[in-house]
Parts: sequence; C-alpha cells; structure tokens
Amino acid sequence: MARDQHDHKHCVAMFEKLSEYIDGELDRAACNEIESHIERCAACKICLATLKTTIHLCGSMSSNPVPQSFSQKLRTLFLENLSSRGGPVVYKR
Amino acid sequence: MTSSRNRKKIKDRDTELIEAINSGRQEHFQELVKRYEQKLYNFGLRMCGDARDAEDVVQDTFLNVFKYLKDFRYETKFKNWLYRIAASICIKKRRRSKFAPERELSLEDFFPEEDVAGPNDIPDWAQLPLDQVLNEELAQHLKDAILSLPEKYRIIVVLRDIEGFSTAETAQILDLKRSNVKVRLHRARLYVRDQLKGYFEHGT
Repeated sequence: MARDQHDHKHCVAMFEKLSEYIDGELDRAACNEIESHIERCAACKICLATLKTTIHLCGSMSSNPVPQSFSQKLRTLFLENLSSRGGPVVYKR
Repeated sequence: MTSSRNRKKIKDRDTELIEAINSGRQEHFQELVKRYEQKLYNFGLRMCGDARDAEDVVQDTFLNVFKYLKDFRYETKFKNWLYRIAASICIKKRRRSKFAPERELSLEDFFPEEDVAGPNDIPDWAQLPLDQVLNEELAQHLKDAILSLPEKYRIIVVLRDIEGFSTAETAQILDLKRSNVKVRLHRARLYVRDQLKGYFEHGT
C-alpha cells in the first residue's frame, strides 16, 4: 500500500494485534478497528490469512507414537519405584 | 487474604485418579503414565528435536510427579501442573546443550515492507483446504521451523498452538505475564509463517 494512503504507525499497531484478533482476545472495538484496517491494507490482510493458516497447520501436526521399548522401560521403572522404599530408581542408558 | 486452604479445589478428568494414588493406591500411577506418556513424549520431541531427549523429558517428568504428587493441592488442573514440570525439564536440558542459541525476535523483522511492490492477493497456500496442504514434506518443514525458533518463543508456540493451552494457562505453566505470552506468541507465529512462506514460494 502506498505511504500516503494510510498511517504507518496505525498499521504497525494493527499488525501487532493480529494474533490476539485471531485468538478472540480483543474487545469488540479493537476488532472493529482491525477489520476496518484490513479492508484497506493488503499487507495486513495477507498477513492475517497466512497467520491463520500457520496456526491451523501447527494444530494439525500429527503425534509420534512412543517407542514400545521405552514405554515398557517406563512401566518397569515405576513398578520398581513402587516396590522400592529407598530413593527413586532411575533408568540409565 | 485468602489462605490456600480456602481456595477452590479444581476438579478435572484426573482428579479421581490422583486422589486414589495419594490415598495410597499407588498402583494407579501406571494409569497416569499411560494417560500422559504420548503427550509428554511429543512435547519433548517438539521442544528438543531428539527422540532420546524426549524420552528423558518423559522419564524425568514422571519421576518428579512420583516424588511430588502428594504435594499437589488441586489449585490448578493436573495437566497444567504436569506441563509446568515438563517445561522446566526441557528448559534445563536445552541450557545444558551447546546447540541452543538464544536470540530475540523483533516485530520489525516481520513487518511487511511498504515500498516494495508485491502481490495484493492472498497467496494460494493460505487459501487451500488444510487437508490438501499438509503433507509429510510440509510437516517436516513445519517441525524444523518450530525447532529453529529460539527456545523462549518455541515453548510458547508449542504450548499454545500445538498442545492447545490457553494464554492464561501458558502464562501459569511458564510463570510469565499474559502480556509476555501474547508478545512472544505473535513473534513466534510470524517467524513460522515466514518459514512456511519460503517453503511454498521458493521450496526452501
């Protein structure tokens, strides 16, 4: 957007709040201000859309299974701890 | 002044199990391990990027839980207390590592340049349905992008956007002000977004 079409400081202030806007952590007045700015500022509009996608992608990451051998060692470790009256038993590699 | 004795006890899906363990039925500890080992393992992987380190995070977290569960006062959700321990272990682990460069992310680094003429349209990658976007290669790129974040930003994005904790919960887990969590989260997201942009636009 050309420099004469909008206030740079205001744009920075809006840009700073985009995550809070996405997370629904702003009041209605602040949301209205951002929505009005987005209509006029292509850079912030693109940033908002790409940020939303980034957040969705982070939330869609799949989980890795726990290696079975480690899971078994963990169970054995706590069985040993449960039967131990001394200090904690620690599994060492 | 409100004494801790008068604070409201927070009940959640783990309360019954913890009460059972703390009343002496310690055999139920295995159930607690089963319930959270995968979550903690993946938290460790995302924070440390290494399977062995992730295993250490899981083991050390449960050892601490085993030791201190009797002191749990139900003033927070058990899961938040658990992650507070795990986060602290991850941070200590990274501090011992020589591969842990810490740096600040500046908001200015991510601010769109005004004078550079660029496309005014939302890029294709931000418009596609998610199931068409996320493939194995992109998932790896995303993991690498998160791992390359300085730790104080990485832990926030992992807790908020991957583990699903709220701003208030994240602040509580990390003993930070909510405003600090919000500032770091925004910068972390902008950093990851820039890495994704590089991947989609230049394949890097």
